[in-house]
Amino acid sequence: MRLLVVEDDNAIREFLKRGLEESGYQVDVGRDATTALAQAADSVYDGFIIDLGLPDMDGLDLIAKLRALGHSAPVLILSARRSVDERVRGLEQGGDDYLTKPFALAELLARLRNLLRRGSPVQTEAVRLRVRDLELDLVRREARRADTVLQLTTQEFGLLEYLCRNAGRVVTRTMILDQVWRMRIDPATNVVDVQIYRLRNKVDSGFEHPLIHTIRGVGYVIRES
Amino acid sequence: MSSENRDSYRSTAAWRIASWPTVAFAIGSAIAFAIMYLLIARDIRQRSDEWLSGEAETLADVSANTPRDSLYKRLVQEVAELATHEVAPAGQGQQQNTVFFLHADPGASPIWVGPQPRGQFVEAIKGANLVPGIPASLKVPGWSKSFRVVYHARPDGGSVYLGFSDVAGSKMLSRLTASCVLAWAATVVLGFAIAWIVAHRTLSRVVRITETVSEMGTADLGKRVPEGSSSDEISRLARTFNRMLDRIQASVHQLHVLTDSVAHDLKSPVTSVRGSLESALSYDEHGRWRERVAEAVEGLDRLSLMLNTTLDLAEANAGALRLQKESVDLAELMRQLIDLYQPAMDLNHHQVIANLKPVKVDADPSLLNRAIANLLDNEVAHLPSDRHISVSLRAKNGDAVIRIEDDGPGFPRALREHAFERFVKGDQSIGHGLGLAFVEAVAQAHGGTVRIDDRPGGGAVIVFSLPMSEVLIAKA
Repeated sequence: MRLLVVEDDNAIREFLKRGLEESGYQVDVGRDATTALAQAADSVYDGFIIDLGLPDMDGLDLIAKLRALGHSAPVLILSARRSVDERVRGLEQGGDDYLTKPFALAELLARLRNLLRRGSPVQTEAVRLRVRDLELDLVRREARRADTVLQLTTQEFGLLEYLCRNAGRVVTRTMILDQVWRMRIDPATNVVDVQIYRLRNKVDSGFEHPLIHTIRGVGYVIRES
Repeated sequence: MSSENRDSYRSTAAWRIASWPTVAFAIGSAIAFAIMYLLIARDIRQRSDEWLSGEAETLADVSANTPRDSLYKRLVQEVAELATHEVAPAGQGQQQNTVFFLHADPGASPIWVGPQPRGQFVEAIKGANLVPGIPASLKVPGWSKSFRVVYHARPDGGSVYLGFSDVAGSKMLSRLTASCVLAWAATVVLGFAIAWIVAHRTLSRVVRITETVSEMGTADLGKRVPEGSSSDEISRLARTFNRMLDRIQASVHQLHVLTDSVAHDLKSPVTSVRGSLESALSYDEHGRWRERVAEAVEGLDRLSLMLNTTLDLAEANAGALRLQKESVDLAELMRQLIDLYQPAMDLNHHQVIANLKPVKVDADPSLLNRAIANLLDNEVAHLPSDRHISVSLRAKNGDAVIRIEDDGPGFPRALREHAFERFVKGDQSIGHGLGLAFVEAVAQAHGGTVRIDDRPGGGAVIVFSLPMSEVLIAKA
């Protein structure tokens, strides 16, 4: 997978390049829209990561230009603005996504994966998710661990499903709020941690191998060990 | 038209602008018509008096120069009848011009030409105080119209009276009066109608200006008032408004550019520092620095949250908070938030009672989410354990009213007055002191309010209300 990152801040550009390369992407970087357009003309990219506040052009205009030139690969927009305006939300409906700064690399990677998957051919929707001896039946909305049915609320099941879909990968609090509760808020209290704490009580207590792990400063992950 | 409707018409400037000239016009034209009436009436009387004087003189001459023989009476009578016929058109009784002639001679029986019985005429003449040769008015009992009478005394003691009731003239005069009044009324009504229509049409442009300006929120400052092609006062007003809106739009835009660039300039380093710390976390295989690095990351997250809220407040204080409005199911939004906060509240042994009526508002869902989350954060952070929280939503007088009540210690009195100011927080508070200021900013940006009260029986009540639909200032 080959990506083009267009970001004017050197530090962010470098850490993005490093983070993305570590995750196995091939990454080209550009610091402004003009360079980006030239790079896009020379190579074929599977995805773009574009900052909204570029020195020579608005990020949205760059996206419009790329689209006009026939580049249809999905775009992940990085925005330092607080409110996401209609044009950005319009792009979201068009199959692209946005992320507000500052963001966790884990979240950027997760969103990027989702974006790139959207572009790929049909994927069979999983009916069951399995992590070690935890099994989720997505049709009957039922979770079992070691053949014991877990008594979960709808919310808890949704949270567990989200963790299991991203098994082995770290999810942040922001991602959980956005994907499970469908809201982009930053609670001042530890509401998400409490949700996880309660879920962990039901999923992990009494078992030798805990599945849900806290990665301090980043978020949570469900994994086999 | 209901009386309320009529009153609302009367309170318009168009009504006032049209009424006063109409009143002035009505009075002026009434005076003009009255003067015309008086002149014409005087003219008619003058003409009839002239005729009367002339005829009376002729008759007096005839009576003086005719020898007193047996024919005298007949001759005088014929001349009088001739004169009578001259002015009396065909007709009956009081509906026609009436002329009478009385020739009184001390020695002989009087000669009477005119309507019978003559007794009342003679009585009336006797009672009147007539001056020879000058026409005077005489009221005859039984006759509605008064007579003009002229009297000539003869040197021999005899006297000649000629009376004339100008029914045709007064009929003409009353017809004239009727048509004058009609014409006057018609012009006044027409004048008012034209004045009202012109005023209404002119002022409807002012109404359009008002409507456009009041419909305009900070979200759509791009709207402009229709200027019109002419260069009259209202077009100038519209242009002035538009220039003013240009300036407001420019300053709001400046502010947005400023806050955006502050956000960009501050968040870029935060983002890269956070990125570095995050990768440090993933390389820290032995977890030696994990705690400290994680704390640093969390600190950065709090910093950017505070930065966001500060910039939102800066925009809100300038009335320039950017709203992305849509129809929001407030009950659903609140249910989601309560679900999210429920476990945290359970952990504190807070019992939550939610009573949410279905209410929809036209609002920015993400700002509402953040504002209500702030209020719930407050409860989680400050309410001692084993207490009750009641969250209710209902519609009241066109407002969506959210009440969050608890039976905790209540808001410290000293803090309450400044609770919505920035960086004001309680001694025990772990927040950054922007929460309630942000909640108030969101309420105000939507045309709503938020207030803090004591709960009867102890505890605090926060009432957050939003108008359910856009209220136009012009119609309020």
